[in-house]
Amino acid sequence: MAERDAEICFKKETVSKLLTSFFKEDKTKLSGDAALLMADVLKVFVQEASVRSQKQAESEDCDQVDIEHFEKILPQLLLDF
Amino acid sequence: MSTDTDETRQRLKAAVHYTVSRICQNNGESHRREFSRQVIAAIAETTFRQCDIFAKDLEAFARHAKRSTVSAEDVKLVARRSTALTNYIQNKSEELAQEQQLKKKSTGKRKSKDTEDDRE
Repeated sequence: MAERDAEICFKKETVSKLLTSFFKEDKTKLSGDAALLMADVLKVFVQEASVRSQKQAESEDCDQVDIEHFEKILPQLLLDF
Repeated sequence: MSTDTDETRQRLKAAVHYTVSRICQNNGESHRREFSRQVIAAIAETTFRQCDIFAKDLEAFARHAKRSTVSAEDVKLVARRSTALTNYIQNKSEELAQEQQLKKKSTGKRKSKDTEDDRE
């Protein structure tokens, strides 16, 4: 399971295009290392979001993780990042 | 916004959505809890918007250091708010640096090894 966890990650190209599209100035570039590290940061962000909503669903005894569970954990998640 | 940039944005969103749903499904399997499609879409959208914030921060950090290229140091600054994340990123960045050093050293050797394997 741990091995499969490691496999699922954002692609370097996706991250680099995503961030470059948000830059205000055209001349700002992203180095390769930075793109790889940002892919990791985003992966951690998504994993936190999913694990925390799962915990919330668990505490409410729900079998399915629903939108209200995510809504409840969202404020703290955004404060942590 | 022109249709061209709109389309790339849609594609990027789709790519984010795909990875998010894979991570969620993987998590769901190990805890026997399913994620509704709405949750996955919401997490994807949040991630997309968070990227906007990250990108603007990175750009500002790079400019603060009078650089036009965002480096690994800027990413460390983005992750500064939580200690656990800072440590994680610090480790990853050291791993990356080591890998690159190894690659530089071994590229020459590996080529000769490959040809040896072919002969066998």
